[in-house]
Amino acid sequence: MKPTRVVEPWAAPPLERFVAESAARLVLLMSPSGQVFAQHGFTRAVDVMSAAALGAGIVASTGEMARMVEEPSFAALNHQGAHHGIFLGSFTLPRGPMLALVVYGPDSSVGLVQLFFEELVRDLVQSAPAPAPARPALAADFENDLNESLATLFRT
Amino acid sequence: MVDDLHALRAELARDPESLVFLRLGEMLRVAGEPDAAARVTLDGLHRHPHLADAHDLYARILADVGDLERAGDEWSTALSLAPRHGGAHKGLGFLAFRQRDFEAALEHLELALASDPSDPTVVQALHTVRQAFEDRMAAPPASASIGAARQAFGGLEGAEDGLLLVDPQGLVMAGRIAVGGVDQGEIVAAYLAGASQEAARTARLIGLGDWTAILAEGPAGHVHIAPPTPAALLLVRRDRSVPPGRLQIVAERAADAARSWLEEAAR
Amino acid sequence: MSSAAYRRVIEAITRVRGVRGAMLVAAADGLIVADALMEGIRGNAVAALAASLVKRVGNASEASGVGRPHFVQLRGTEGMLLTLPTGEELLLVAVADPDVNVGLVRLEMLRAAEGLA
Repeated sequence: MKPTRVVEPWAAPPLERFVAESAARLVLLMSPSGQVFAQHGFTRAVDVMSAAALGAGIVASTGEMARMVEEPSFAALNHQGAHHGIFLGSFTLPRGPMLALVVYGPDSSVGLVQLFFEELVRDLVQSAPAPAPARPALAADFENDLNESLATLFRT
Repeated sequence: MVDDLHALRAELARDPESLVFLRLGEMLRVAGEPDAAARVTLDGLHRHPHLADAHDLYARILADVGDLERAGDEWSTALSLAPRHGGAHKGLGFLAFRQRDFEAALEHLELALASDPSDPTVVQALHTVRQAFEDRMAAPPASASIGAARQAFGGLEGAEDGLLLVDPQGLVMAGRIAVGGVDQGEIVAAYLAGASQEAARTARLIGLGDWTAILAEGPAGHVHIAPPTPAALLLVRRDRSVPPGRLQIVAERAADAARSWLEEAAR
Repeated sequence: MSSAAYRRVIEAITRVRGVRGAMLVAAADGLIVADALMEGIRGNAVAALAASLVKRVGNASEASGVGRPHFVQLRGTEGMLLTLPTGEELLLVAVADPDVNVGLVRLEMLRAAEGLA
């Protein structure tokens, strides 16, 4: 059984429910800059970092394309391969915009992932605490925060 | 491969608590370095004693070096932590097969299949075990499954073939579904569990209430699937000559028989 | 075929008394291609779940020797789901009351499938 790991405990039950219902193989919940606050199915920190960076990059690129065609940014993207699909969904928590990267196999479908993604977002919004007051972002703080997040995501 | 090993070792050295030991241990095992694999895995187990995947990995390392008894212990521990762990069921299925306990092997492999229906190694293992089982039972057809089918469905049309009673975990309780003369009950049972879970979820989420039956019409016949009790599933198969309305009646009679048999068995 | 043409084909199914809605679904993805639904039917949920159900029931029926099904009916205490594949990629789906005339719905679904061929 693959682990679900969260930086903040409130995110665990919604994520576990989503994984159970959608049969997702890998999930990352992160900020648009790629800072992960919950994951399921990954066993290596380097894979999490790579996937987060690439996912955030894809969303940023397609966001620019949306701007070019004068559309609001796309709410969801799906890439379908021969055996797996990758779904990227945007959503908003009290603290701000977020992204979900979901990898699913032949035992699921983009329809199921989208269906239960809507429930996941509702659950996360309901469970999320109010945002902490903003503080200036220092490069050192960012590095420390990132390292702490990754450490938590791989600790039992 | 060597670069990957270095990278994983470096990652583990940077963060000994990380779960990367699973990947490193597996890579060392596959590279034919069981001692190194065991060291990494045991260290990881010391830090994560309740991680079923780690027990599964250690079991596979032990099986590689021939320590099957301890491998079995580790897979059993994995199951106690995660009862649906596919790897542990696969491992215990392998051990049972080696001991010629084909029924136990089939049980474990069916559960492994239910855990991951897309794993081709499990499907192949099931085929191998079934073949060995059929070879051993070379004198058909009076098998245990027919005996149980007669008990559960005695007197009903198709009592010896075409009726299958299954528990929610996808294990056969009674009945037989023969295809080409070979009983496919275990495979059908594993798929049935998934179908009934999906039926329950679908009915709940789109406002159909509680699901009561599934009817599927195929090119070579029809199947009717229903829960005669909350803890059982019944599949009735008939060829195309039986109209759906008649199939419904047959299914209701079979459900009554199944309920009586289950109540009797529970006493 | 245009979306309007798809819709015309499936609307005939909704004219059967007791049918709450009908849709055409991409079977592999569980996404709606066209729909004609009454208020209160969650189209995206029906599409995704119907496609998944048909896949799983198909595995069981194939293993039991009857082949991939060409018609699947899910009965519930408060309603019914009926599905009929049209070719490899599309699935006709109808949601109906529990006491609907299944024979009539099935007939209209078969006609609709012919219209889509």
